[in-house]
Parts: sequence; structure tokens; C-alpha cells
Amino acid sequence: MKRNHRLILSLILILGASLLGLAIFRQVRANQPASPALQASPLHPPFALLDEEGKNVLESGQPVSTMRTCDRCHDTQFIVSHSYHSDLGFSAYTPSKSSMDASNGLYGEWDPLQYRYLSQDGDERLDLGTPEWLMYFGERIVGGAPTTLSRKGVPLTSLRPGESAESSILKNGRVEGWDWKASGTMEMNCFLCHLEKPNNQARIEAIRQGAFRWANTATLEGYLVQKNADGTYTWIAEAFDQNGQLKHEYVRIQDPTNENCGQCHGTVHTEKEVPLVIQSCSGEGATTGQVISPQYISASGMNIAGKTKLVRAWDIHAERQLKCTDCHFSLNNPVYANQKQEPGHILFDPRRLELGEYLKMPDHNFARGQSTQYNIAPELKGTMQRCESCHDAQKSHANWLPYTERHMAVLACESCHIPQMYAPAIEYYDWTVLKPDGQPQTECRGTDGAIIGAEIASLSNMPFTVSHLVEGYQPILLARTNVDGKQLLAPYNLITTFYWVYEDKNGNQRPVRLVDLQTAYFQDGKYRPEILKALDTNGDGTLSDRELILDTPAKQEAVASQLKALGLQNPHIEGRIQPYSINHSVTDGDHAVRNCRACHSDSSRLAQPFKLADYAPAGIMPEMVTETNVKPIGEVVKGEDGAIYYVPQPSKASIYIFGYSRVQWVDMLGALLFAGTLLGVAGHGTLRYISYLRRPRKEIRTQRIYIYEAYERFWHWLQMVAIVILLLTGLIIHRPDLFGAFSFPHVVTVHNVLGILLVLNAALALFYYLASGKIRQFIPRPHGFFDGAILQAKYYLQGIFKGEPHPFEKRPDQKMNPLQQATYFGILNVLLPLQMLTGLLMWGAQKWPQLTNWLGGLPFLAPLHTLVAWTFAAFIVGHVYLTTTGVTPLESIRGMITGWEEVEVHEEHH
Amino acid sequence: MKKRFPLWILGAIGILLVVVVPVAIFWPRQPKAGTDPWKFVPARPVHVDHKDIVKGPFATPQEVTRACLECHPKAAEEIMATSHWTWQSKPFQVPWRDQPVTIGKFNQINNFCIGTPGNQKKCMACHIGYGWSEDQPYDFSNPLNVDCLACHADPALYAKGEYGNPAKKVDLVAAARSVGATTRNTCGKCHFNGGGGNGVKHGDLDESLILPSENLDVHMGRYDFQCTTCHWTEKHQVKGRLIADNYQVDPKEQVSCEQCHQNHQHKDERLNTHLRSVACQTCHIPAIAIEDPTKVYWDWSTAGQEGRKDDHYVYQKIKGSFIYQTNYKPQYRWFNGNLQYRYILGDKIDPNGITYINLPAGSIDDPQARIFPFKVHVAKQPYDKVYNYLLSPITAGKNGFWTLFNWDIASKEAEKWTGLKYSGQYGFAETWMYWPTTHMVQPATNALKCADCHGPDGRMDWQALGYPGDPAEWGGRFSKR
Repeated sequence: MKRNHRLILSLILILGASLLGLAIFRQVRANQPASPALQASPLHPPFALLDEEGKNVLESGQPVSTMRTCDRCHDTQFIVSHSYHSDLGFSAYTPSKSSMDASNGLYGEWDPLQYRYLSQDGDERLDLGTPEWLMYFGERIVGGAPTTLSRKGVPLTSLRPGESAESSILKNGRVEGWDWKASGTMEMNCFLCHLEKPNNQARIEAIRQGAFRWANTATLEGYLVQKNADGTYTWIAEAFDQNGQLKHEYVRIQDPTNENCGQCHGTVHTEKEVPLVIQSCSGEGATTGQVISPQYISASGMNIAGKTKLVRAWDIHAERQLKCTDCHFSLNNPVYANQKQEPGHILFDPRRLELGEYLKMPDHNFARGQSTQYNIAPELKGTMQRCESCHDAQKSHANWLPYTERHMAVLACESCHIPQMYAPAIEYYDWTVLKPDGQPQTECRGTDGAIIGAEIASLSNMPFTVSHLVEGYQPILLARTNVDGKQLLAPYNLITTFYWVYEDKNGNQRPVRLVDLQTAYFQDGKYRPEILKALDTNGDGTLSDRELILDTPAKQEAVASQLKALGLQNPHIEGRIQPYSINHSVTDGDHAVRNCRACHSDSSRLAQPFKLADYAPAGIMPEMVTETNVKPIGEVVKGEDGAIYYVPQPSKASIYIFGYSRVQWVDMLGALLFAGTLLGVAGHGTLRYISYLRRPRKEIRTQRIYIYEAYERFWHWLQMVAIVILLLTGLIIHRPDLFGAFSFPHVVTVHNVLGILLVLNAALALFYYLASGKIRQFIPRPHGFFDGAILQAKYYLQGIFKGEPHPFEKRPDQKMNPLQQATYFGILNVLLPLQMLTGLLMWGAQKWPQLTNWLGGLPFLAPLHTLVAWTFAAFIVGHVYLTTTGVTPLESIRGMITGWEEVEVHEEHH
Repeated sequence: MKKRFPLWILGAIGILLVVVVPVAIFWPRQPKAGTDPWKFVPARPVHVDHKDIVKGPFATPQEVTRACLECHPKAAEEIMATSHWTWQSKPFQVPWRDQPVTIGKFNQINNFCIGTPGNQKKCMACHIGYGWSEDQPYDFSNPLNVDCLACHADPALYAKGEYGNPAKKVDLVAAARSVGATTRNTCGKCHFNGGGGNGVKHGDLDESLILPSENLDVHMGRYDFQCTTCHWTEKHQVKGRLIADNYQVDPKEQVSCEQCHQNHQHKDERLNTHLRSVACQTCHIPAIAIEDPTKVYWDWSTAGQEGRKDDHYVYQKIKGSFIYQTNYKPQYRWFNGNLQYRYILGDKIDPNGITYINLPAGSIDDPQARIFPFKVHVAKQPYDKVYNYLLSPITAGKNGFWTLFNWDIASKEAEKWTGLKYSGQYGFAETWMYWPTTHMVQPATNALKCADCHGPDGRMDWQALGYPGDPAEWGGRFSKR
């Protein structure tokens, strides 16, 4: 066939193959089924309010009993026994000597932030008895089993006052009995969640005063009942009809709204016209800084840095009218039932509870996520809808995010969609010291001291007020193991607490009671002289915040000795780091993390140090709580300023991030190879030039032959372009900070495209050589190989400087000398396939994650890929240099371009 | 030997293509932004200072016009072909009348000052012509009566008075020398003060738009748009039709956001799903009459009381009692750009019900209709108790109510102007009028958010619009749910 035709055919074949290759890489995405919305129920028949004995409260004047009132239609026993909001860990209560947690809920689990402790049976000292537990935590207690029954299952009213911790109370440091019969107990309060505007303030006040039996009635204050000056309650007559039932327009029973949930949970703001204002850094909202509100951050009343640019809602789901119950639904709600099917082939089982049956026995165990800080009802973790139940991440990211599946396999949605918190969050609580007002040292994350300068601000510990500048903070990303076993990076706040613990005489490990701590520190309202002496370093008679740090063993001993004097054995300090999950305050795509360099750079978010506390008491480094689904992938380090930080190391979670992760020795070795080759050829070339100048010109006979065919030249130069671009883009991907001018996602795309091109080119070239038999010349002949190789080596080391002819003739059927054959053999059969394979697997990590992981995963493949890349770079240097060893320096390159080369004429043939 | 194109160059080009084409195919692309609206904004006319061009003196305003026509010969003709001059729409065939009717200030009523016929003394101060009096029918064919100064002279140097003639103290030469392109101030002299005062009528047009802040109106405030920037004017024909004085509006004659904001796509896909059913104005005009109040209620029946103090915002003896509102939240109706009904003088009313002076056309089933914001003006105005139609009594004219405070005389005098017989008995009927809200467009960050319409405190009455309930839960009008 004529040469032109061959050329055109080759071009067509190449183009055709390339297009075919491209077509193969089209991806098909699967659809996720949509989730229906939960409807609020507007219908409720009028009903009468009944007391404990079933009599109408209008006649008996007794407090309303939700259990009896609602029981007419709803099975209240079922509800109470199927509600962890009500149970709070009560049914799983197990006293323990070594553990300060007797349950996994508010009833029995010790929260160092709240500090007060529900004493277990058999504790030497009483901190909170059940009555005071109810009064102290009343805001967050719905009522039910913990507030009506004892731990042994008998009604609390049957306990004698002072009989045990459950009927005792600590008053002014002394233990006194509590008469449950007089105070009454508190039933599960339906009104709190199911009324449009329950009077939670009145309810909390009733609880604080110990009037537990009236707490549920107080919830109706102002709506159905009036509180009189003498503390008794009178029902509002006009709310009831002549049959003693509530009038229709007074029945305002509803599904819980965000406002209902927001009474206890988090910072929830539903008013449209009223700007959101957060007055203090306390409460559940301050554990993370999450805000659930449809209001725009720019419309809030807070002093947030850059507020005018934050033209986005605090939480996009709140903005889009989703309610808490849309995701945290009742587990037997027929709208959401049957999410998982058995047997496996069933997509959807339409058999479900009738609405009426559900209303009769609604399961008040709500679907819950896997937040780290709440361990209640662990068997229900992960029953909640997650992002992927409603959102198709593939569709929404497809047009801008390369490697979408890979990102989704490593990062939880929240990592990018909750990039920053804009409300104050607690950083640490130091209960090892008490400030003059009896409060611990605390710090609020993400806020500046109001008007004070920066160096004082960090230890200012001024209680957060609305005038503080809120800069917000970036949550730390830690590895979270989901219910399905997948491990994803998700955002957290870390709260560090320091506190004193001791052993009581029954061998129980308990936190030092607040009252004991106060006694240790204060005498007659002022600091004890011994404490002052130990802590007052500047001798001014007062203890400033800076001085209230137990940063020497001597200071710790001063406090410990006071505690010992009170009879506490072995008082010592512990430090604990508790992660708090962040799942709300989600933002939309426009405001999520979109800049690749946020993670793919040296200052990657995934490795940023996260401040834990301004200091650590001497000798104590806090430890991350164990037995959570958070893998501690970092370490606690002390900074130069004495502050302690948590530094995550993504490699501990087997995460390799292009542009951030690297193996030092690989880069060093590679760079050494490259530099060494460069120096070598520079030296060799210089020597050749000098020797050329110095020796007499010798005439060498040459002839012009057609040595490189068209296709050979084509694939060679395509290979060269591809490899050079791959090396350059690879370098940019590896060190994006050095090449800030380039756009990371574009560079990645170019690298991938050319990688495929390289594979195709190599495959087609291999086919060509195999099919034509020309592969023969690449294969070093074993017989006489070493002799030939040494001959060639000697030429390069000596003969070339003397101007000797090449030992091996360059012929069209044998273009390569033994050294070349050996080198290319290694390059083309080992290094190139290795590079292509590692590259393919790195890209394929999202398509074939199991295969990739089985072969070592990214942490192994990527450094290998980098090392081979360095060898290729070194090879290119050497290769280009060696092409200058033809009859003239540029002759070989000319041959590779045009196909015709002047070669030496050899008399004999080897 | 024939000179051949070197093969290796072909090869090099081939390599280039093989590399560049796949990269171009897979190059990450930004989503296409919509067409740039600035492309369609007309260029501001260059101002030519007429200080040395215009030479006086001018004894009459018609002499001014003659001077203008020396260099702008076609101007008067052009004006005379527009509704600014004729004060009437083109004739419409309406279903409830046999003959076509025209609608305009010339011949139909509203529920503000009611009607102009017979009241030329005061009302024609906003006609762009001179000398329209009650004595004879107005000569619409006289080009010299066209008032160029009304729109083109500096508002500080020119004002109109009785019968459309220049006000007494006006210096015609100074006014003529001050002419330039129309501005918000010149257009606003009439259009901001409709209904007898600043901001009374439209709600979204008042003097606060002369120097607006960008939060009041983003186009006029941030970008200093003049009226003609959107109301494109060619040959004095101003684009834009007020539905109060029209019946069916040809979309080609109407101003719309899409003149400039073509193919607009919001960045948020959820917002784009609203475009089929919600007009731009609905979300982008959260409220009108933000700085200056607008009149929302006018009770003519209390007019004429003796001894009661006049207060511009509460009661005037000549007009009756009113209610003004600021920060007026519009009312929302389906609207496809036309009216389904316009009160024509002589139409019968039910005095115990509401009479709609105009009623926007459109419904939930009309795919052309969108939910649109309106200002609703409610009035109690005179009607004839025997014939059961609305009256258009003389107010400012001779023997009008503003002179004699007598509705009988005023209604009798109006007979020759309206052609409506007066029975001698009058009463007051409630009328409603719908004024579309389309100015005071606020910056996008102030637009309505999800919770403003959806959810428990939303401002939409879903059932009144024809939905079974909140479309966020029930599904929109085009969805199958």
C-alpha cells in the first residue's frame, strides 16, 4: 500500500479508536426513590381534661393527668413505654463502680458540661437525688418513667422521704428527705410537643419549685388555666362547653413543629420578622453552634464577621419548610414505614398500619441519626433518613465535581455542606477551678472578646454576649463509621472538659461534687487563703482568669489537699474530649465548599489543627472518649503558646488526598534520581564537547537511510507529548500550592484524558509491533547480550570522547543497541505498565473500590505512581541527551521527525 | 521532483488534534449563564443643551410648540398618535356591549377622582396638551396644542395649571431652553401624583423614586434607570399599557422584565420551577409604598361635612375620608396581562355588592397566567339609585361638588358630559380597582423567601388562588400529584 494511504488509514484508525474509547467512558447514574413529606394533622375531636383518677378537672380541681386524658383515644401506656424522650435511659440504668455513667441517657449519664451528677445507689455522697435531678434538668425532661417510678419499678410516691438517693435532696450541703406524696410526680407531658404554644416557662417554673404534679397543668397556663397569686390553678371557664369538654376552637392539638422541638433542642428560630439573636454561649445549641432557622444569616441580629455577604439561610432545610419530624419521624408512622424490605426482591410493601391504628399507638421512638454525643437508644441509631434518602448526589455534582463517587465514598455530605458555623460554640470547660462567681473557666469558640484586644481576648473568658464579634469556626473533620459500616469524614465540634474525680469509700469513681469543690475553693464567700497563696502569682489578692489555671503540680496539690481534707480519696484531674456531631445548619451548593484547594493543598481542611483549649492543667492531656463511632485519627499536641490542639492525620483513616498527602522519601529519592541524571548528562555532554574541540576532525562515512516509519514516528511523538503533559500536570496535582496559577479540577481533567490517551497509544503501538513482527528489535538477544552491553557501555564511557564509531550499526531492521534494548524493555514492559496500572486504579478507585483497596488502596498506589513518575522524568533527561550521540547532535532527532537519518556506514555486520 | 508537503508536519497536526480534541470534550464546564441583560438596555440619549438654540420671546405656549416643530417637525404628529394625547385606548369589542368601546381618562371612570369629563379645569393639568376647556370639544388635530414642555422641560422651571395651560408664573423661554430627555422627575410630575397627590394611586410610583435608594428600587436606585430605560420609546410611542385603561393588551406593546432579562435562570433550581406559575414581580417586589404612603380606601360619602378639619391623609371636605398605608403588602391574583372586565359608563351595578372597576384576567387553569401582585383600592363612590349605574359627577368644573358640595347638582351637570341620565337619587356603592405592582423592584437579596409564601404564616391565600392547599405539599398546578 502506498505510504500516504497507510498514513491516512493509520490516522483514521487512531481517531476511530480514540472516539470509541471516549464513548466507552460515558457513565450512567441510577435514580434514588423520592421520600414523601409528612402531613401535619389538623383534626382533633374535642375532649375533656381528666385528672389522675379519671375525673373531669373542672369538678375535682386536681392537676390534669395526661395519661388519663389522652388515654381515651391514644394508648398512653404504649406511648410512654416506647419513647426514649421519656425514658432517658431509665430502663437501662445499671449502677457501676468504675463508670460514672449508669445509663446512656440523661437519667444516669454524666455530662461534664452540666457537672451535677445523679448519684447512684450506694454512693458515699449525694449530689443529685432524683427530685433535684428533675429540678435541675427539668427543662429537658418530658416526664414519664424516670419521674414517676423508682429504679426498682415501684411508684416514687411509695418511697419514704430520705430512704435512698431517689427520695433525698441536698440542701445547703445537707441531705434531706423528699416527700414525693406531697410534691407529686410528673407524667409524660403530651402538651409540650403537641400544642401550638405550650407555656414551657410556666412548666419549668413549677418544676423548679418542686411542684411536680402541677407541671403538666402549668404547661396550659394562659391558654386553658390561670395561676392564682396563692399558687393554685383555676381553669378558664370559657374554654369549656357545658359538657365539660374543651370547645372546638380551643383544641389546638397538632403535630410537633420546629418550634416545639426547639424548646429543648438546639437553636431554633422560626419567626420571620424578628432577627435571630443568641444571647449566651450555653445550652444545647452552643455545643456545636448549629442554628436551625429559615432566616438569612445576613438578616440576623448578631455581630457576625462578614455578615452582609452571608446572604443564605442558616439552614437550608428549615428554609425549604422541612420540619424536624420530616427526618426524625415516628418509627411506625405509616408514611415512612417499610423502608427496608424483606425478602430482598421486594421494592415496596404497601401493607401498612392504618392511619387510625397508628394514631392509637404511635411509637414515640423517633428515627435518630448517629450523633456521637447522644448514646440513648443505641439500637435505633441510624434509623433516620440521611441525605442520600432524598438527594441524588451524582446528578447534582456531575457537571462540576470530578470523581463524584470517590468524594462521596470518603466525605459525608456534611463535610462540604456545613463548611462553617456562624454561631458561638463551646470550646472547653475547666471545672478544675472555680471563678469568683462559682463558675468554671470556659471558652467559646469562634467568638472574639468584645472590644478588648486580641491577646487578652483568648483568656478574657468574658461571658458571651450579643455584642461579641462572631467569626465562627470551621468544624474539624473526623472519620465516622456509619451504620452500614462505611467510614466517612464528617464535621464535629470537640469540647474539652477538665474536672476532678475521686474515689469514694465504697470504691466508686465519681466526679467531685460541686458543693465539695465550692467548699474547697471558697470560705465565707471568698477564696480560701491556701488557694489564694497557691494560685495568686502576682500577689494582688485576687485571682484573675490567667491565674486560675492549675498549670503546676504544686497548684494542683493545693486544691487536692483541700479536697482530701473533706474526706475525698485520691482526687485527681481528668481531661476528656467529646466530639459533638454537626448535621444541621446545612447550606446549598452555592455556599458549600467548592474550591478544590480547600482540601487539595498543603493547608488542607482535613489536616488543620483544631484548638481544644487555651491550656491544659499540668501533666494532663485530655483524651478522646472511646466507644463512639468516631475514629480518633489525630493526636493531641501542645502548641508553643501552651494551648492544646487536635491535629487530624487523614492517613490514619487510609485517606490519601492528592495535593496534600505525600511520602517524603519517595519525593526525595525521585528528586535525587532526576537531579542526578541531569548532572550526569550535563557532565558527560560537557566532556564530549571539550573532547570534540580538542581532537582532530575525522571523516566518517555516512549514508542517508529511511529508518523510522510514519506510524512509528507518530506514536513516538504522541507518547512524548502525552508523557510530558502527564508529568507536568502530575506535578501540579502533587504540589498544587507551588502552582497556584492553575485550576486544580482542570489540571486533573487534562491528566486523566492524557492518561487514557497514553494507554490507548501504547496498546495500539504494541499491537502494531506484534502484528508486524517488528517487536523483534526491542527484545535483547540473550546470546552475547552482556558482551554487547559492555561494549556499548565502554563506548559511552571512553570511545565517544575519542570520536570512535559506534560499536553497533544502526539498521532499519535493528535500530537499537543492547543497552537501548535493555532500557526500553524495562521502561515499556515494567515501568510504563506499572504507571498506567497505578494511574488507572487511582482513577478507578471510585469505580472499583474493592479491587483498589485489595491492591493497597490509594495510600500505596499513589506514592508508587509518584516514584515511577520521577523515574520517567529522569528517563526523559537521559533519553533526550542520548539522542545527541548520532553523527551530529541533532541528526537522530531529525530522523525521528522526518524518518530519514544519516547513519554511520559499517563495513561488517554484527 | 514535486514539492510535497512534509509528512511530519501532518503528523504533528495529527498529534495536536488527538490531544486537544478529547481534552476539549472533557473540559469541566461552568453552567451557562443567561444572556446578559445589559445588552438590551437602551443607550441614554445624548443631551443637547438648548440654551442657545431656543430663542424667545414666547407670548403663548403654542408659540413654544411652533418653535420646537421647526427642528422636530414630526414630533407633534407622533404625539398625536399616542394615548398620551388622545387619552383613550384603541376601540375594543367587549362581550357585554354590542358596539366597540374605548377606555381612557377621556371617557371612563375610576374609583379615585372618578372622571375627567366636565372637570377639565383641574384634571387636564396632566394632559400633554394646552387649552382643553369645557367650552368646546378639544381639537385633537391641532399640532400646536401639543405641550412639549410637559415632558421635556426642567420640572423646576415648568408646571401646568388649569386646562393644561402652563401655570401662571412660568417663564416660557426659560422653560423652553431647559428641555432635555425625559427623566424620572419629568414623567413623575404626572405619574407620581395621580389620584390627586403624591403616591395616592399606584402605590409603586411616587416621589420617593426621584432619588431612590437601591433598596427602594434596584433599577432606579442602583443603576439610575430613567423611565424610558424600560418604557422603550420610539417616535414618542411609549411602550407599556396600564391595564386600568385597557381591556386586552398586546404583549408587544407591554413592558416586561424579559425585555432585558431574557432566558433568566436563577442559580437555585428550585426557584426556576416557580417561573411557570409566579411572575417576577411577585417575589421581587415584597412591598410597595415603602417610603411614601399610598391610598387604599376612599369614602366619598363623607365628603362635604361642615366644620371638620382637613387633613391630607385622613379627611378632606371636597373628597371625603381616606385610609393610607405604607409598606403595603400586595394582594395576589392570577393574571395573564389582560382584563376580564372593565367598568364602562352605563354598566349596571349591584349596589349591595362590590363593583369591580377592573378585574384582571387569568386563572389557575390558564397556562399564560402567573400569580401577580396588585394594589387594591377600595372606594365608596356615587351611583344612581334608580338606574343602578355609577355616576361621574362634576367635581372641579362649574357648579361642581368642589364648589357647591351638592351631589344632585353635580350629577345633573354631568349628564351632558357622560350621556348618563340622572334620576335625582344617588347613593354610594363600594368599588374595587386593581393596580398592578411592577415598580419598586428591590435587590435580589431582598426578594421573598420560601417561608414568605409557603408554611404557616405565608402571605398567599392558596384556596383563593384555586389551589387545594400549599403547593409545596399538594403539588403545583402542573404536577400530577
